[in-house]
Amino acid sequence: MITFRLNRSHKIALWLIFFIAVGGILAGLYMYNLQDKDLAKVKPDFIMTASELQRAFETDEAAAGPKYINRIIELSGEVESVKPGENQTMVITLKTENPLSAVSCTMQSESLPPEFVAGNQVSLRGQCSGFLMDVLMNNCTVTGKSN
Amino acid sequence: MKRIVLFTIAVLLALPSGAQKYMTRNGYIGFYSHTALEDIKGDNNQVASVLDIATGGIVFQVLVKSFHFDKALMEEHFNENYMESEKFPKSTFNGKITNLSEVDFSKNGTYDVTVEGDLTIHGVTNKVTTKGTLEVRSDGISAASRFSLVPEDYKIEIPGLVRNNIAKSMEITVTMKYEPMSGK
Repeated sequence: MITFRLNRSHKIALWLIFFIAVGGILAGLYMYNLQDKDLAKVKPDFIMTASELQRAFETDEAAAGPKYINRIIELSGEVESVKPGENQTMVITLKTENPLSAVSCTMQSESLPPEFVAGNQVSLRGQCSGFLMDVLMNNCTVTGKSN
Repeated sequence: MKRIVLFTIAVLLALPSGAQKYMTRNGYIGFYSHTALEDIKGDNNQVASVLDIATGGIVFQVLVKSFHFDKALMEEHFNENYMESEKFPKSTFNGKITNLSEVDFSKNGTYDVTVEGDLTIHGVTNKVTTKGTLEVRSDGISAASRFSLVPEDYKIEIPGLVRNNIAKSMEITVTMKYEPMSGK
């Protein structure tokens, strides 16, 4: 039978390798299971009205894209409609000064406060995805300033 | 304004006057990948689509960045590694219902339809044909379809290391609730 004798430095090295391996696995699992950020706890990059954001894309989409897409934006505006989407999602549309275009915001159904109904002034925070017919905002959350 | 009008005008110009158009800006397209290792699901509830019941013309536009995933890392990989959404921000479908005569838009009910057209994803356009249903109601029209799509057909490269985590063929689900185009 072959036996190995480890000196003190070998033991320390083995323990270090073990802890690094376990740390790596835990970090990987953490990253893999990471959910979207709760944007209510994130400082917005911009605070503006729905009309201002829509106008920026309508006027110069090439300039507005790099400036706003992927950024966290806190928006205020009047609710035009609230419609259920698939998979526990609500789609809130905010009016803009252009009757043909709005700001469309997706939010988890359980996060939708009762004051989010057509005609009410609300405030929300979300991540801008870009411009289709409307400016699209995702992962939206309420900022607590709605009324 | 140019951008907004472009999408609708592209359809409207080709239509005879008096044609009836239906539209949604909150349509749903989802995809699902199932393997023994992992399930991946993306949802997009901000699909813009126009349906012309006079010609059977049907158009979809999707912002790739609007797909939402349960896990932030999946969303990041989807946008940055696979779909390259900075380079190819939109996916589109421009097609037609080929058996339009079998749908009675004056009578409420559910009708089986076949749709064919050009699907553009990741900058690559392919002809697709799929089955679906149209539900005609007094207040609008709902459309639904489910079909499969192979990422490699659209030059979406999946590294060998994670190839077994992603299904060879994705299941695509489409659900639209159209309203008459007179309203917003």
